[in-house]
Amino acid sequence: MAASASDIRSALSIPSQSQNPAQTPAQSKKLQAQSSRKPDGISRELYSLIGPSAPSLAAQLAKPKLKQKPNLGSRSVVKWEWRSFTNGARKDKLQLGHWTKAATDVNADYPFAKYNVQSTPYIYTDEEYTQYLQDPEWTKEETDFLFNVVREFDTRWYVIYDRYDFQGGPARSMEDLKDRYYSACRKLIRNRPWSGDEASKSSLLASFHFDKEREITRKKYVASLENRTPDQVAEEEALYIEVKRLEQSERKFKKDREDLLRVLSGVESGLPDVLEDESPFNNLPIIDTKKKRKGPSSGFLPTDVDSPTSASNVIALDPPIVRKPRDPKSIAYDAQHCIIRTDLPPNVQATKAAHHPAFMRSFKLPYPKAALAPRINQIFAELGINNTRLVMPTRDNCARLEGLMEHISALVESKKVLDKLEYDIQVAKKRLGIRNSEDREGGGGGGKGKGVGIGSAMDVDEGDADADAEAEEESVRDGRAQSIVSTKSARSRRPTRRSMSISSVDTNATASARASNKRKFRN
Amino acid sequence: MVNYGGDEVSALVVDIGSSSVRAGYAGDDTPKAVIPSSYGYFNNPPGGDVSMENGNSGEPKSAYSQIFIGQNGPSTWRAGMEIGNPLQDGLIHDFDSARSLVEHALGDVMRVNASEHPILVTEPPWNTPANRERMAEIMFEEMKAPAFYIANTGVLNAFAAGKGSALVIDIGQSMASVTPVVDGFVLRKGLATSSIPRLVHSHAHHFLSNPTQTRHAIDLYPNQLIANRLPVDPGAPPRFNLREDRLAGVTQSWKAWYEAREVDEWIQSVGGVLEQGWNDQVAASRPPRQYEFPTGYNNYFGHDRFAVCEQYFFQKPHFVQSNATAPKTIPSLILEAFRTCDPELRQVLMGNVVLTGGGSLLNGFSERLASELSRSFSHVKIHAPGNPTERRYGGWLGGSILASLGTFHQLWISREEWQEHGTAIVGQRCK
Repeated sequence: MAASASDIRSALSIPSQSQNPAQTPAQSKKLQAQSSRKPDGISRELYSLIGPSAPSLAAQLAKPKLKQKPNLGSRSVVKWEWRSFTNGARKDKLQLGHWTKAATDVNADYPFAKYNVQSTPYIYTDEEYTQYLQDPEWTKEETDFLFNVVREFDTRWYVIYDRYDFQGGPARSMEDLKDRYYSACRKLIRNRPWSGDEASKSSLLASFHFDKEREITRKKYVASLENRTPDQVAEEEALYIEVKRLEQSERKFKKDREDLLRVLSGVESGLPDVLEDESPFNNLPIIDTKKKRKGPSSGFLPTDVDSPTSASNVIALDPPIVRKPRDPKSIAYDAQHCIIRTDLPPNVQATKAAHHPAFMRSFKLPYPKAALAPRINQIFAELGINNTRLVMPTRDNCARLEGLMEHISALVESKKVLDKLEYDIQVAKKRLGIRNSEDREGGGGGGKGKGVGIGSAMDVDEGDADADAEAEEESVRDGRAQSIVSTKSARSRRPTRRSMSISSVDTNATASARASNKRKFRN
Repeated sequence: MVNYGGDEVSALVVDIGSSSVRAGYAGDDTPKAVIPSSYGYFNNPPGGDVSMENGNSGEPKSAYSQIFIGQNGPSTWRAGMEIGNPLQDGLIHDFDSARSLVEHALGDVMRVNASEHPILVTEPPWNTPANRERMAEIMFEEMKAPAFYIANTGVLNAFAAGKGSALVIDIGQSMASVTPVVDGFVLRKGLATSSIPRLVHSHAHHFLSNPTQTRHAIDLYPNQLIANRLPVDPGAPPRFNLREDRLAGVTQSWKAWYEAREVDEWIQSVGGVLEQGWNDQVAASRPPRQYEFPTGYNNYFGHDRFAVCEQYFFQKPHFVQSNATAPKTIPSLILEAFRTCDPELRQVLMGNVVLTGGGSLLNGFSERLASELSRSFSHVKIHAPGNPTERRYGGWLGGSILASLGTFHQLWISREEWQEHGTAIVGQRCK
């Protein structure tokens, strides 16, 4: 075969390795060495043709090989050896053996010896005993025995009590043993010279504190707790759940009541906030346990729970607020800076419910009655006052606006009544006029008279219809499209003196209100 | 190795029980050698006694001319072979054969030289000081052990469960015990034992070997005495032939041994306890279990398999009244142990109940115990290993853990101390 690998490469336009300028000579050399090595299972001729670019084919042709063995030789093997050792915690020279790393120090202490921590036992001399530790209940021999047992079992009192059998001594309870031991230790500490400071001495004394009576009562209590029958345990659990339930319903009831009061009386009405008693059941568990102690069989009625708390359920209205006389200086200051102080009633607790959040005074402005609102608004518009938004909603301004609104609504009301009456009078007059004319005509010209009568009746009807329409108009425009002015213009079709006078009153009132408002705004 | 507190000094742990002797290396999770505690022996011929008297008195001599221990010991038929057991009520009363058992387990099964290893031996909580001193003497003087320790099975069972304080309920082959353990010490005043397992066993024996309304008495022959047998239908009389040649050589003690073994096998195979207390309807509704005896006799056992084991928990009042010495049931043992315990301890112990011993592997036993305890105590927590090996060899496992701890090695009684202090050191060291 004349064709070499490079020929094939050039034919297939594969760039030759040597053509790659980026390769360093060393790399190319290495690659050449790789490529020159022929893999197994492929003939030399073929390899020279295709070069190293057919690895998959070569892998299939290659003979199967075993998995390569892991190389364990690289790491150094840790050497272990069987070594006998002596334990520093032992008093004798017992030699035990164990496997250790050969690198460890042969003379090192046994690593577990350091865990052999002994508590420092209290030992007393005969002198000390006769001086401090005399006790009519205890002989010296028994005290010695006790101290030995305590040391032997490292103050594990359950075990000490279990193993304590002093020959010839009276039967001792665990509390007796503890009391004797701790009181003896306390006496020794107190009477021995103390090298450290007083604080450490007192803390050490405190660590040896033992109250025998208290311990006995506690044990009794634990025993009584243990001796409860399953029924009693179940009852207690049921009671606990019941108490929790009552507590919850009480809270809910309180919340409901409070909401109701707010809705009924309103915050603005001046009714002080209802005092919320946060924890009416604080005293309940005590009552419960007392009941328990008295007799487990005593029934537990829900009313029993209610009765102590019902007192707090009564709505407590606060006594009238007494304002404290204030410093004239501060009053002057407040007046100067337009500060108005709203004092909380002194007996109202600062609870969540009693808290007033900050609010805009203008939000509390009264709204006109819905039936009269358009007319009132109309009047306000005439006056040039925006009643929904005060530019300067000081307290005085708000009060005045409120007063104005009241006056306007009263005016509108009375005008409405007046209109009605006026109309009635007119109708009555017309009827009177017709009757009079009929009387004047007498019996002659009955047909004509009838015709006139019909016409006048028509007139009356017309007037009625007119009045009806007006009434309808009024009722419809309770939603308030029509203004007072337009009403006036409607009236002007048949003007009367009285209506004129009303309108003049209107303008007067308007003028005065405007003037007063102007004054107000200047304040 | 310091990380987990272990330091193995190739100590051996030997746990001697009524049914088997367990031996193995400390640090293992199962004993290497488990051999039956019963052994076969031939009595010394009359001349043997004379030779023993004449022999060297310092040399320990077996009272038997030949002793058969281990897998091929008691279970192999030998003409005139007697069966012995060194334990009585869980305590060793025959130390010579106990030593033979230990020697066999260590030397013949484990192939170790006892003089090269520290040995930890277990003892039941009700062991006597004389017994433990005798055991120490055997280990030091006859086994030549370099170090020795004797530990309480109650404590070791608690350790095997990973607890320092526990109420250990141990149901063995011959004894049941309830042991309060606090901080690794047995409260001896709270210890309660009874031989209730033996009562259950004798009840089962009585039930099987006596005819009932529906069946004849069951022959409790072992396989060793049966030449051939034919399959029969359940409940039908068995068709088998005995090995007449062997019958003559069967001794009373071997007969008692094999009958006991057949009864035990029956209890272990079909016996059970009702989880929620005795109830005839529930017992009848449980599926009966089939069991076939070596004679080929087979039958379904339903109600009775529960009635026999119910003895563990409940005894009929008239039975208790007529037998003042009747062994106590498990619940009454627990109550007895609790009465003597400090009220403060009760809560701790109830939260750490350890159930162990091969007898506790009865079907439904731990569930029944839980329901019995929760009836009278709140917050009961029972630790009952699901692994039967752990349950059966709990004492050995605890010993294995203890003897492989680095901090334990200061507690060994060394040969030096033994020689210096004598038997007194045993009581001082092994509290």
